[in-house]
Amino acid sequence: MIEFRQVSKTYPGSDNPVVRDLSFEVPEGEICVLVGPSGCGKTTTMRMVNRLIEITEGEILIDGEPNTAMSATRLRRKIGYAIQQIGLFPHRTIADNIGTVPHLLGWNKGRIRDRVDELLELVGLSPEEYRDRYPAELSGGQQQRVGVARALAADPPIMLMDEPFGAVDPITRERLQDEFLRIQEDIKKTIVFVTHDIDEAIKMGNKIAILKQGGILAQYDTPETILAYPNSEFVASFVGTDRILKRLSLVRVGDIRLEPANGEAEDLPRIDGNLSVRDALSEIIGSGSTKGVVERDGEKGLLTIDTIEKLSRARDDSRG
Amino acid sequence: MANPALTLLQDLSSIEDPKLIEWDWISDNFWEDIVPAIQGHIFLSFVSVAIALMISLPTGVLVSRYRKAYPPVTFVTGLLYSIPSLALFGILISVPGITIGPTPVIIALVAYSLLILIRNTVAGLDAVPAETIDAARGMGLTNRQILFRVELPLALPVIVAGIRIATVTIIGIATIGAYIAGGGLGKMIFDGINRSFPTMIITGAVLATALAIIADLSLLGLERYLRPWARRRKT
Repeated sequence: MIEFRQVSKTYPGSDNPVVRDLSFEVPEGEICVLVGPSGCGKTTTMRMVNRLIEITEGEILIDGEPNTAMSATRLRRKIGYAIQQIGLFPHRTIADNIGTVPHLLGWNKGRIRDRVDELLELVGLSPEEYRDRYPAELSGGQQQRVGVARALAADPPIMLMDEPFGAVDPITRERLQDEFLRIQEDIKKTIVFVTHDIDEAIKMGNKIAILKQGGILAQYDTPETILAYPNSEFVASFVGTDRILKRLSLVRVGDIRLEPANGEAEDLPRIDGNLSVRDALSEIIGSGSTKGVVERDGEKGLLTIDTIEKLSRARDDSRG
Repeated sequence: MANPALTLLQDLSSIEDPKLIEWDWISDNFWEDIVPAIQGHIFLSFVSVAIALMISLPTGVLVSRYRKAYPPVTFVTGLLYSIPSLALFGILISVPGITIGPTPVIIALVAYSLLILIRNTVAGLDAVPAETIDAARGMGLTNRQILFRVELPLALPVIVAGIRIATVTIIGIATIGAYIAGGGLGKMIFDGINRSFPTMIITGAVLATALAIIADLSLLGLERYLRPWARRRKT
């Protein structure tokens, strides 16, 4: 668990703090996304966790211990670090890059090698093919995979990720996000994740911290709650006027209760149960109908625009 | 009063024997004169580059950290670089305690290489991507580890490019060092001039040039060998 306690950061020679009196907790095993407009201090906030930036006031506790209890380098070796520009070492092979922290921690060669291969498999790169290559020989998406693998190398309980999928095209980004969420289901790291993209925040976050100019926490909650109940004008406009639709994108068609489809199903559009309700709505409207048929476990259910509308107003926050 | 360059030309043109190369002389004096001259020249150049590097690398690293020191360092080394070589030799041998011989030559050659070597060290370190250093720090490398494992290896091509220029320059200027008894191939050239014997002049000149070219190419080879990651490109 990471706990921010009244954390402020003011740079020398400046009167205005870039982060102001920040207090929130990132629970064990969850992804907390820091999101906000540029200049809101989200990256600064993240970098204070591993002391790449030192706090001016307040403290950050990691599992109850202040992060100043050990030397900065020792602390950093226990925290995974992945950034948008990736920062792979161009002069080291992929295996050496991934093995950086294990090497610093003094693991023996065999153990490092096994771990490198395991991680390459995990991020979907064949070890035989990629282990001995240099970063320049990889595509942008592959490099970001390696960046994530490198951050995971010593199996740190905590990870800091600053737009880790930011430097690739939208299709690759979506795939990397999906893959990472799948990995996270197994590894359950406590993650501070920075992005400027609210859609990425909604998709990746168990919790979202929305920061505004001057490093002030505007709202900290689950994506569902923030979308349903933005606590201010600022948050509402930041999450966008399509927040109802965004909220629907958090729910899969297969997970909602449907009316049984009786006979009338023949000429209605078929909806894949893995789609989000938002995408299903788009399909229904696109087909010129007001309902569609969802097939699931051999049973046919009827998804109507009415159902979706009720869902968009429902108060229960099922996720997270 | 006479312009030395003019006198030199007159000396050369007054050479009676039109035969430029006497191969017999070369074979007769090969082990006795030519090989020691080459060795002497390599010694002068190598020692000078080595000392210059020992000064320039730490200075370059420090200056790249404490940026304010960069302009004064460039100014002083630039000033040294701009002193004509013969003048610098003259100044050095008039310093009490320094006698003619290899020492003042090496001091001068080191002085000439500092500007190039320091500037290339700083430029090489500047060219290391900021995100690479950030990632290294974020993963828990110490400053020393970042310098030796990340920054210097990545700055290497630019530093070696500087060493190549400095080496070629030094091998050239070292010939003039013979004027103050520095030895090397310059001595052969001066002796040839004094004796109006073109074979010696040409042998010395060709060998000095060849030495410069060989040194340049070897350093290029070394640089490529030390950078396996640059030999392979995106597939």
